Amino acid sequence: MRFPSRLLAANMVFALLLWGLLLVGVALVAAGVAVFGTLTESTWEKGVQLARWYALFVGVALVREYLPMYVAHGMTRRQFGAQAAVTATLFAPFLAVLVAVGYLLEAGAYGLAGLSQTLDRAHMFAEPTHVPLVLAEYMIELAAWLVAGSVIGAAFYRWDGGGLLAVPVGVGLVVLAESAIGTELRLPFVSRLALGLDVPQSPAVTAGLGLAAFLFGLALTWLVIRDVPLRNRPA
Amino acid sequence: MRIDVRDLVLRYGETTALDGLTFTLESGKIYGLLGRNGSGKSSLTSVLAAFRRQTSGEALVDGRPVFENADLTRRIGLVRDEGEAITIGTVEDALYFAEGLRPNWDAGYARSLLETFGIPPKANVKAMSKGQRSALGVVVGLASRTPLTMFDEAHLGMDVPSRQAFHDALLADYMAHPRTFVLASHLIEEAAPLFEEVLIIDRGRLVVQEDAGTLLSRGVSVTGPVARVDAFTAGLTVLGARDLGPTRSAMVYGDLDDTRRREAAEAGLELGPVAMQELFVHLTGGPR
Repeated sequence: MRFPSRLLAANMVFALLLWGLLLVGVALVAAGVAVFGTLTESTWEKGVQLARWYALFVGVALVREYLPMYVAHGMTRRQFGAQAAVTATLFAPFLAVLVAVGYLLEAGAYGLAGLSQTLDRAHMFAEPTHVPLVLAEYMIELAAWLVAGSVIGAAFYRWDGGGLLAVPVGVGLVVLAESAIGTELRLPFVSRLALGLDVPQSPAVTAGLGLAAFLFGLALTWLVIRDVPLRNRPA
Repeated sequence: MRIDVRDLVLRYGETTALDGLTFTLESGKIYGLLGRNGSGKSSLTSVLAAFRRQTSGEALVDGRPVFENADLTRRIGLVRDEGEAITIGTVEDALYFAEGLRPNWDAGYARSLLETFGIPPKANVKAMSKGQRSALGVVVGLASRTPLTMFDEAHLGMDVPSRQAFHDALLADYMAHPRTFVLASHLIEEAAPLFEEVLIIDRGRLVVQEDAGTLLSRGVSVTGPVARVDAFTAGLTVLGARDLGPTRSAMVYGDLDDTRRREAAEAGLELGPVAMQELFVHLTGGPR
């Protein structure tokens, strides 16, 4: 199998661009709060929640945009599946690195300004500068959101409206990963709804459940796309 | 690449798109694939390019089943109106992926084709006009240099000069890099000069597969006084007739040997060619 260098590079370059924009946006918000109010919490922690939705989007796009293009360029679904799996496996850690670097930049800025980088949500890490734990948490979380996107994207691509049935499966994958890292799935506008499982917290359980969610998501995606026809133009 | 199709059936739910197609295409020719809307052209090319799996029967390329066969699919290209090969970011992005995925990609040729069609490399593909997107599909299809290249209505939205440029480029590239082309098109008269062999399908079944020259030679227009034309064409397959006052022009399908041609001349009848489009219309059942 060829290494998916172009697939990975295209997504990484775009992610870097978005990360830069997010950094600027978060810095402006933090500066505004500091000037007009009191800044007591990490702003990056809140802003970086967008990364989960971006990972979901990348998962959807892998199937919706890239699978048809790769098949149209003579790749088999099996070849694309392997390349997409490698891409997902490397892209989630890449996003986690960007998140961790954001925390470090924020820590430096807050330190210079004499501010406290307090965290608002439950995390595997106590301090944003605990880089290995930051990486582990976001890697597990973003990998799960990415494969949730690929499962849902594959189902909608193959079955149109029938893809709705895959949404609970995607939510399940995310809840499993969030539970593994000791948090809950909270959705925008329905903050009272928190989905989570009571999972004993230990490094082995966290890593095992996170890996299971990721692999299960990949396997489900493969089951849907392994012989999927490319869509025809609606008549 | 040689194509063998045997008893090919493709169904979408209750609809039968291909209904037991059987034919063989030898390698190294330009084939015209003609059919009316819904005749099964797109379904056939989709199966041959492994875009979808057939319901039953065989679609063989170089003697092997094509679906999920990486060794074959990397040498097969299908450009169609859906545009899945190009609809990603900008024109440069589309070429970036094509270059990475197509083993015979010719980047210099692709750039020259972009200039020919006036396609800006920085343009967003989804924001381009229909004609420009079609032209970009043509660029990718030709520059991929796949041994089996298929264009399914690749000209949609292109204006007349662009279509002419497409046909000229295809012919020039075919001469320089001989390979198998399959062109599915509704613009029969425009594309007909390219065809070496023609397949006409209707309702998922093969109607005609013939050398283009032979097919054209089977169509003859017989023009003259109504009574003499009727007498001459009695017993022949008459596809249609038009009257202008006392004069009738009848289209006849079938071989006319030298004796029959002499009889026509002696009867004062004029014999002439029939356009491929006329033959197509009548071979597929006339107006519906």
